Amino acid sequence: MPDTIHIDGISKRFGSVQALDAVAFDVPERSIFGLLGPNGAGKTTLFSIMANFLKADAGTVEVLGLDTRRISRLQGRLTILPQDARFQRNVPILDQLVFFRLLDGSTRREAEKEVVRTLELVGLETVAQRHVGTLSHGMIKRLGISQAFLGHPEVILLDEPTSGLDPANARQIRELIKTLQERATIMVSSHNLDEIQELCDHVAILDHGKLVLAGSIDEITKAGREYNIALSRPLRDGELQALRSLDGVRAITPIAAVGHAKLGGSASYLVTLDVSGEGADMDDIVAALLRGLLDRGITPRTLTEGRSLETHFLEVTAQQS
Amino acid sequence: MSLRDLNRRHVRLISLYWTRYAVRSGGAIVFLMIALLFGLGVTLAMLSSIEMARQRVAADGRDMTRAEIVAVFVKSGRPIAQWALGVTPEPDQADPSQAGRQSRGGGMSIRGPSGPQADPWTTFLLDERPALLSAILLILLFGMPRLVPFIAFNQISGDAQSRGLRYVLLRTERANIFFGRFIGTTIFTVAVLAFVVATITLYLGLKIKIYPGGQLAAWGLHGFLALAILVVPYVALCSWFSASIDSPFLSLVSSSLVVSAVPLFAFFAGMKWEAAAYVKYLLPSGVQNYLLHPDLSHSLGAAAACLGYTLVFLFLGYRHFEKRDL
Repeated sequence: MPDTIHIDGISKRFGSVQALDAVAFDVPERSIFGLLGPNGAGKTTLFSIMANFLKADAGTVEVLGLDTRRISRLQGRLTILPQDARFQRNVPILDQLVFFRLLDGSTRREAEKEVVRTLELVGLETVAQRHVGTLSHGMIKRLGISQAFLGHPEVILLDEPTSGLDPANARQIRELIKTLQERATIMVSSHNLDEIQELCDHVAILDHGKLVLAGSIDEITKAGREYNIALSRPLRDGELQALRSLDGVRAITPIAAVGHAKLGGSASYLVTLDVSGEGADMDDIVAALLRGLLDRGITPRTLTEGRSLETHFLEVTAQQS
Repeated sequence: MSLRDLNRRHVRLISLYWTRYAVRSGGAIVFLMIALLFGLGVTLAMLSSIEMARQRVAADGRDMTRAEIVAVFVKSGRPIAQWALGVTPEPDQADPSQAGRQSRGGGMSIRGPSGPQADPWTTFLLDERPALLSAILLILLFGMPRLVPFIAFNQISGDAQSRGLRYVLLRTERANIFFGRFIGTTIFTVAVLAFVVATITLYLGLKIKIYPGGQLAAWGLHGFLALAILVVPYVALCSWFSASIDSPFLSLVSSSLVVSAVPLFAFFAGMKWEAAAYVKYLLPSGVQNYLLHPDLSHSLGAAAACLGYTLVFLFLGYRHFEKRDL
């Protein structure tokens, strides 16, 4: 898969703070790429340099093969949802979005149609003629997202797109992002690791301005893929040891038990798989685990993906600290 | 990004949008009100003085027309006009044909039609053109630049502070934003000036009825052009400040302070130390009166100087805006 975004040695200093330190990674085409990091890691700074809001002290960013320091050459092809940027309060929403599309090269009629269609996508079509001052925080967030979806961008940068949204709206936006992956490369920054794990196929982790890790989520988590498994009864010590000794099973940790191994009752475990070994296949390991359970008369009731990314994120950022 | 890459369509779109946006914003309304109040206030003060004088004369039982009273006012106001223009009259000069010596302010002293202390510049303004309108225009030339920061202070700073500019930055080059907003602000400012000067001229024509309508209109148009040329470098100065300071309030205070303090400093420091008077040339205040000079070459020279100031301020503002973080 060719790379859409090429970030090469980006550094940025604010006074005595090194916000970014020689950050370099590539974003593959048509991927949903998550940018992770604790507060102050440099995520928003990196987005701002990519969009040419901030000038890098060193390094370059190329999007679709073009240097973003000449940002207008990417006009209409790259859009962004900036964090904390405010719309003009005294201009109707429709006018502001139409103005953006006019700058992108649309005619007024095309622009108006397109704006209304995009507002419909985020459920804001009824407020088109209103001023931003009359909207709630969540609505303003959705408005910001709608301006990033305007036109036919090939690359979309979303800085914390779902923060401040209620769960229903956040889900709607996540669904929208997944749909857009068919025609665009999307880069998302978020603190919500579950969201990133659900949405993204690739991630980069920043910490204190340095790139800690970058790659596909499968690659990153293969040494510690986590699953939550609920069983019909708690495991006995012997059973636990036997299952732990299966190839590819790194750990089985009890989470909760309602009942006792001898008396019955349900129980939940966190299973950590290691698929980093040569020839290891996740499906084979899961199948062996389930077989081992069924052979012992234990019924797996649910098997859900765990927080592999969060665990990994905490590990790598703790190492940095 | 070089200026050759300016996108004319973007500059036009941004300036139009900005003009519309300025009309909706509080700053534009404040500027319109202040400019109108200032212009009409000056006019009203002059006309009230004339009316009061006429009533006093009538109470004394003397019969004087408005035109005669205005003539008396003009005569007594001539030294003030000469002082404002920096013209030094030479009362003992007998032969007007020898009046080639340059005065301190660039005017030439001769014995003019209004008495021994006349000079071509004040003669032009007070005798050959409608004197009241000339006096008002001189005051407007001095005062209007002080009002320009009220409309021009927030060209960039507010949107830089709120980061609203980021929605536009990805869609166009910074140069288009900077120059588009400058042009939009200039258009709005000039439109307000046209409205103010037209109102004053109309008011003078209807109220005092001593000047021919055509002459008044032509001189009003000349005055408007002078004002329009003069405010452009001040708008450019505010563009520079606004592109450099994120806080709109600080941008307003700084630009107002500079626009007012430079001529004041030049005036007061110049009384103590002559060289300090040249500080006034940091701004167009040093050349502004020449926009109403009888000699076309002087007027064109002043207009060219205003253009020069505009280009310098715009260059400084643009260079900073292009390089800064937003």
